[in-house]
Amino acid sequence: MQDNQKSNSTTDLQDEVAQLMVECLNLEVTANQILPEAPLYGDGLGLDSIDVLEVALVVSKRYGVQLRTDSTDNQHIFSSLRSLCDYIAAHRTL
Amino acid sequence: MTTSQTSWAQTPERSNRLMLRVMTWISLQLGRQAARSVLHLITIYFLLFAPTSRRASRAYLNRALDRPVRWPDLYRHFFTFAATIHDRIYLINQRFDLFDFEVYGADILERLLVEGNGLFLMGAHLGSFEVIRAIGKKHTDLRVVMLMHEDNAQKINTVLAAINPESVQDIIGLGHIDSMLKVQERLDNGCVVGMLADRTPGRDTLYPVQILGDEARLPVGPFRMAALLRRPVIFMSGLYLGGNRYAIHFDYLADFSTVAPGGREAAMQAGLKRYAELLEQYCREAPYNWFNFFDFWQPSK
Repeated sequence: MQDNQKSNSTTDLQDEVAQLMVECLNLEVTANQILPEAPLYGDGLGLDSIDVLEVALVVSKRYGVQLRTDSTDNQHIFSSLRSLCDYIAAHRTL
Repeated sequence: MTTSQTSWAQTPERSNRLMLRVMTWISLQLGRQAARSVLHLITIYFLLFAPTSRRASRAYLNRALDRPVRWPDLYRHFFTFAATIHDRIYLINQRFDLFDFEVYGADILERLLVEGNGLFLMGAHLGSFEVIRAIGKKHTDLRVVMLMHEDNAQKINTVLAAINPESVQDIIGLGHIDSMLKVQERLDNGCVVGMLADRTPGRDTLYPVQILGDEARLPVGPFRMAALLRRPVIFMSGLYLGGNRYAIHFDYLADFSTVAPGGREAAMQAGLKRYAELLEQYCREAPYNWFNFFDFWQPSK
């Protein structure tokens, strides 16, 4: 039962973040076309580092998550929608 | 707006790199005056054996000069390029005593530095951006980080290390997932982030502007970054005037710190237009300082 709730909220967060990304970057795909495991940067969704910045700014505003360069995890955090959402879920303050 | 790769990015900058290597060696061995006589030989060499650059030079000068272009103009153009590259060696070694710098608009820079929120310094392949080092000597609170394509960053630091190991520049390489987060961090610390905004090393959205009477396309990336990070932008040019003279100009370009997200697109476009105007203004003022030796005005594909 608890597992079900957890996976529901994970999916909700993924949908929400995907929607935020589509809106702020004017992507030509719809939110549900962004595969949770597909790379965001470079091949995959094809974001560049300015796109990543824009996502980082939107995400930090919406969820109160700070993304810093001293964290060596950025490569991992932005590797896919799923890992970004995992990071948000673990660090959100809003 | 279109996405395309510039022909500059497709052809390796073979001649630039070769010229830099040759000149470094000569300058360190012979000193500025003696080395400058060698510059004339190098100029002749490139004038004869770099036909693509020669054609680009002629095409550009046709736009910038209000008269027919002659061989001495091409010579002067190539020589100016060689001279500024050569002088970088001395600037990197902090031999500011060798030069006479005229500085215009330093108050614009100073005012923004005092605020401590960081700013962008956008230049072009026009004259010498390296002269910022001379400004840095007078203003010790000026910390400049250069933003550039990773390949160039590595090459430049290799060259700098060879010339003066203490001079290795603070560089943020583009093309990393967190390149922009690093830019943000430096700005937050009050640093100046410098870049040459007239070319794109890879794929970037391009925006059409008018420069010297024709349409050219500028990369949008630098302005998008400045708008997202909500910082002021100053245009900088270090124009070579001949002999040992440089004119360093700082011009207010844009301030994105108060732009609402809804007005971002319009503010970026205004910034790009202003950048193009300043570029044209300085091309007219010091025409031989233009160092884009490819067809900058190439038509859309």
